[in-house]
Amino acid sequence: MSAARAKPPQPRSVPSPGTGRRAVVTGLGIVSPIGIGIDTFWKNALAGRSGVTSFRGFEGFPIEGYRSQVAGQVLDFDPSQVPSGVQADRYDRYALLAIVATMEALGDAGLRMEREDPYRVGVIMGAGMGGMLIGEEEFNKLHRNLRPNRVHPNFIPMITLNSASGIIAITVGAKGVNLTISTACSSSAHAIGQALTSIRTGQADVIIAGGAEASITPLTFAGFCSLRALSTAFNGEPARASRPFDRARDGFVMGEGAGVLIVESLEHAQRRKARIYAEVAGYGATSEAHHMVIPEEHGVEMAATMQLALRDAGVRAAQVDHINAHATATPIGDPVETAAIRRLFTKRADHILVNATKSMIGHTLGAAGAMGGVSCVLALHTGLVHPTINYDDPDPACELGGISTEAQEGPLRVALLNAFGFGSNNAVVVLKKWSESSARPRPR
Amino acid sequence: MVSESVIATRIRTALAEHLKRDVSKVQLQDDLKKDLGLDSLAMIELLFKIEETFDLEIPNDDLSQITTVGDVVAYVEHRLSGAKGAPAARPVAAATVAANHPEAEAPATPKPAAPKKKGSRRA
Repeated sequence: MSAARAKPPQPRSVPSPGTGRRAVVTGLGIVSPIGIGIDTFWKNALAGRSGVTSFRGFEGFPIEGYRSQVAGQVLDFDPSQVPSGVQADRYDRYALLAIVATMEALGDAGLRMEREDPYRVGVIMGAGMGGMLIGEEEFNKLHRNLRPNRVHPNFIPMITLNSASGIIAITVGAKGVNLTISTACSSSAHAIGQALTSIRTGQADVIIAGGAEASITPLTFAGFCSLRALSTAFNGEPARASRPFDRARDGFVMGEGAGVLIVESLEHAQRRKARIYAEVAGYGATSEAHHMVIPEEHGVEMAATMQLALRDAGVRAAQVDHINAHATATPIGDPVETAAIRRLFTKRADHILVNATKSMIGHTLGAAGAMGGVSCVLALHTGLVHPTINYDDPDPACELGGISTEAQEGPLRVALLNAFGFGSNNAVVVLKKWSESSARPRPR
Repeated sequence: MVSESVIATRIRTALAEHLKRDVSKVQLQDDLKKDLGLDSLAMIELLFKIEETFDLEIPNDDLSQITTVGDVVAYVEHRLSGAKGAPAARPVAAATVAANHPEAEAPATPKPAAPKKKGSRRA
């Protein structure tokens, strides 16, 4: 213990806090039920392909016992896809999905860690459930055999909710701030928002931000069934099961996946001549202080969160062109979000292009904000908004002029990413299209 | 007035316990949401308790037909009488025999006329 301690690290440059620096997205990575990799994901998203399939059930658990029998699974994921240095059997599936998305995003950003001050690169990931599979297996084993010494030694590091942010940092050598945000379904939207905060305050130059979830597991799946939150009416037609804003929607579809955005200070991105997708311009974070699982029914609180995010970004409601909605396809949630959009945007509400990524991939819980974030950034970058599939018969309670079952094109300048979580928790991120003129300094 | 079935008493008592009020304050005509103040989560908790108590499976499709305490009682009585799905129209009040033996649910071999479990769901 008395051995000489290592010297405290000497970071090369630390800007003074509160400099109000701007943050931009320079890289994207995704592992989703409609494709691993941004190109495949975006092609399938624009084509309106569903990644929801019949769920075969779990080993030893006949699917017939489950009310919901569909899920958005990443069927083409294989642990061999993780980088060679990562010992896959030491990590839960959710952490492996996260590391694959991260490696893609870093490559996409052209970020070479060997050229970076490692203490200036952080990781902020969202996860709602964490390593549920190993958790359930070991819990079950212990209760069956009553032999505590047979619990797997990696149970604790695998189930821990920050194992994804941990393995990302270890794999890439990111020694800056390392956080995991767990606010249920809004987790990774908060992760993107907190990445903005970290950049603004000078805590980091680069944040690997996003979220991952892989909790289609016997107990967790059963829990959401018991909560009667999942779709059950389309078990025979999986591709039609996730139907945000549609009259026949009857709950969400469990999904899994990971999404990662490289969020970087503008100066840092410009210095290394990075390609810039979009600016992360604002962030609103609130609690409804209302109910654990039911949103405030008039949408007052969701509207307030969107408004706070816009104010933070210095953007007026009239400038918003696109909303990637939370839209899980539950009977209660979608009308509340619609009411919130109408409340805030009034006449403009029907002219904003609104879409629901969950219509194709299901609800990836703690990864949902990252999936929506990737879609939002790609929308701003390409000028294309992916469709909301299964919106066949608009529910009058959640009808908006800008929702379409087809891909839409438009001059997109400002987009909102909405995410609302159990625990009465709301997050909204404002993203802006990037162009050369965006780089000019502007008053805040 | 006809004496109340055992099922009705059990359901009213369970609801009264959940709501922490006297059982006399929980009447069959009470609307679960409007009169008793159950929110959607409390509704699901109630249904879960009923599923456990009477060893039933209540599919999501049947939920829309349950709005009052009397609807819950009628639904449970109907299901315990051996039929699947929600009662056709008016509550059946005469399932007191089954009520005394709630564990003797549906017969193991389905009768030919009885609708199949899966088929009763809307596609």
